[in-house]
Amino acid sequence: MGKIVYTCPYVPAEWVAAHGLVPSRVMVRTAGTSPAVGPKEGVCPYVRGFVDEVMSRNDVSGIVMTTVCDQMRRAFDIVVGRSKLPAFLMNVPNTWRSVAAQRLYVDELRRLSRFLVGLGGSAVSNGELAKVMLDYDTARSSLLAKRELMSGRQFAEMVAAFNMDGPGAVSANVAGCSAAPRGVPLAAVGGPMMAEDLDMFDVIEESGGRIVLDATESGERGICQRFDRRSIGDDPVTELAEAYFGGIQDASRRPNSGLYQWLKQHFEERGVRGVVLHRYVWCDMWHAELARLREWTDLPVLDVGVTGDCEADKHRAANQIGAFLEMLQ
Amino acid sequence: MTGVVRQISLDEWDRQYESLQRAGARRPGYVGPLGRHVQDGDRGLVRLRFDNSPAALRLWNFLLTEEDRLRQARTEGKKIVGAMKDLGTVPVMAYSLDNVVAFYPDGAWWIPCVMELSAGLLGIADSLGIDESFCPVRAMLGAFVTEAHFPIPDLLSCSVGATCDDFSAIAQRLNGLGYPIFWWEIPHRRSPEPGETAIELPGGFVAPQSQIEFVKSELQRVAAALEELAGQSLDEAKLAVGIERANQVRDCLAELRLLAFTAEVCPIPALEMLIAEMLTIHFCSDQNESLAVLQELLEEVKSRVAAGVGLLGPDAARIFWVNPVADLQVMNLLEECGARICGTEYLFSHALDKIPEDVPPLEALAQTALADPMVGSAADRARRICADIRRFGAEAVLVSRIPGASHCALEGEVIRQVVADELDIAVLEIEVPPLTDSMCPALMTRLQALVETVRERRKK
Ligand code: SF4
Ligand code: SF4
Repeated sequence: MGKIVYTCPYVPAEWVAAHGLVPSRVMVRTAGTSPAVGPKEGVCPYVRGFVDEVMSRNDVSGIVMTTVCDQMRRAFDIVVGRSKLPAFLMNVPNTWRSVAAQRLYVDELRRLSRFLVGLGGSAVSNGELAKVMLDYDTARSSLLAKRELMSGRQFAEMVAAFNMDGPGAVSANVAGCSAAPRGVPLAAVGGPMMAEDLDMFDVIEESGGRIVLDATESGERGICQRFDRRSIGDDPVTELAEAYFGGIQDASRRPNSGLYQWLKQHFEERGVRGVVLHRYVWCDMWHAELARLREWTDLPVLDVGVTGDCEADKHRAANQIGAFLEMLQ
Repeated sequence: MTGVVRQISLDEWDRQYESLQRAGARRPGYVGPLGRHVQDGDRGLVRLRFDNSPAALRLWNFLLTEEDRLRQARTEGKKIVGAMKDLGTVPVMAYSLDNVVAFYPDGAWWIPCVMELSAGLLGIADSLGIDESFCPVRAMLGAFVTEAHFPIPDLLSCSVGATCDDFSAIAQRLNGLGYPIFWWEIPHRRSPEPGETAIELPGGFVAPQSQIEFVKSELQRVAAALEELAGQSLDEAKLAVGIERANQVRDCLAELRLLAFTAEVCPIPALEMLIAEMLTIHFCSDQNESLAVLQELLEEVKSRVAAGVGLLGPDAARIFWVNPVADLQVMNLLEECGARICGTEYLFSHALDKIPEDVPPLEALAQTALADPMVGSAADRARRICADIRRFGAEAVLVSRIPGASHCALEGEVIRQVVADELDIAVLEIEVPPLTDSMCPALMTRLQALVETVRERRKK
């Protein structure tokens, strides 16, 4: 079966799977180095890493990218220009309050469906979609239920495994979790993390902290909301759109007030005492939120800017995190 | 027509202004010596060289007195719309109402250059967490906070979706500071798929009818917000008249561009042409007067072309310029290096193209908004650039990168590749920050090298 790779949380895995294809939301391993993306300066390391990763793979049938941020939208041009793989750019609106924006998202799912069928996928039936949605929902619930038993890295890797390989990856791994670290409860907030960035969670725990909320795009914040199981039977497409487009709160939304409501609720529920903002240099979306986050919350906020130069980033972050936790303890 | 066509300094202009006055020339009330704007803080003007025609004097004065017009409009009880990002569409709608004026807060882009950073707007943006990793449009934040450069609009609209991250993030920051914003969506323009109705947009791009319908529905929301603000309806008849008036300005500019870019001898400097193009975006807060200003400039250019006079000789290198410059002085450098502008794509070509008049008004405006070169792929934009290069006969392309701009890092290579594939002409990329004084020698060297390349190629 053909594998469809993507990285944006607004692409529903269930939709791809219901076409009989294999959805694989990649966690980028490392910042890319390919000259195809142009000069390093000015380009988000995650975008660079994603382009490198998808262009170097030979187990892929198609790529799906979205318009959520300008850099990814433009990186699509590069992927199309340099790779022979079929690629699809999905329009995910930044506005979300109008009915037209919600309708556009659903229309784009239908357009994506035509692309997937063109790659050998089968036409989607409501019955098959509902079944896949239930499977995914169950797996997500059991993953989230075990969150408290996992370290920051374990949880992030589990989410990444689920995103990459589907529900099977959760049932196989969740059973082994039993001991979460203790420490100052922190939230990690930001865009997506690369696999190499997960070292940050280890450093936090080694320095006396504990991630109680992974509000990065590759963590809990990038997981769609739970489905209303009664609605799945009646109109699974609408329910899917509601859970993804209506349920994932991101810095890129206009306005992005929903992100702050989501954070407020989760900070309170989890007793968060400090916030670590993980952002890539040249990511305007998250960079611009730093000052706002600091104005908005009474909690201390640590800014961890990642350049993609792994060793230097690690060293700098370790010093920053150590000092931050010393202050909080 | 002006006697000898020259570029002159601000001091020379002020002396020339006195002679014009003595000669009894009748000019609109806002026209005065350019030096007064320097006293008002626009210190960067002293670094520029200006075309020496009275038409250019009027153009500059019109540009530099926009704030006065906006404040006057407020005094007269008119509503002020701050249209953000769409560059060219919302103002056409706003000026269809007789009690609304619209402007682009985005124009604060040039304040650090014109005021030589003295306004401190970039420092304010820094203090709000928007540092130099963002595009110079961040100066807009400072302009809102100081309230010293434009009145705070009664309604702020902002197009988002397929726009740059810089602007979207900065507008969100503004929103977070307590300024309400009416957001509307402009989707990424895509190619029609098999079975979809394809529509050719102004300027030549193609989009599926379904996207036009979507944008039309977004503009309907904008129209409703404008109606509420104005307290009057914005019906099809009013919009049609508004489009007709906007097209008069666009037609005039189109004629001006064609003459300026194709005349044997360059009839008007690059800098004045940049300002002229900017007028079509929002009419500098007075639609009728912007037309009159452009018409006078067009008459001047026509008479220069007829007389075969202008700047530089017929052998000037013919350059197509991509992206606006944050420091206006760089446009002067081009001529100092022996080159002239023969075609531009300053990110808002869709604001120059004629708005269709043979379809319902909102549909026409939706087509215009979707024709924005920045909402489609960089390859599309590059192909439009190639078409205009052929039309205007440019011999090289200069892409001026905008520091911090999210689109620049990724699109430069795409543009270079498409231009190389289609035309085999030289492409040079430079970066232009808001103040280039210390970099001028290096920039000159690079521009001169481009001019040399053009001359060498002519010999082949
Ligand atoms: S981290 Fe920022 S720039 Fe990078 S892909 Fe995500 S939103 Fe885009
Ligand atoms: S110059 Fe570029 S980055 Fe800056 S606001 Fe305009 S389109 Fe956006």
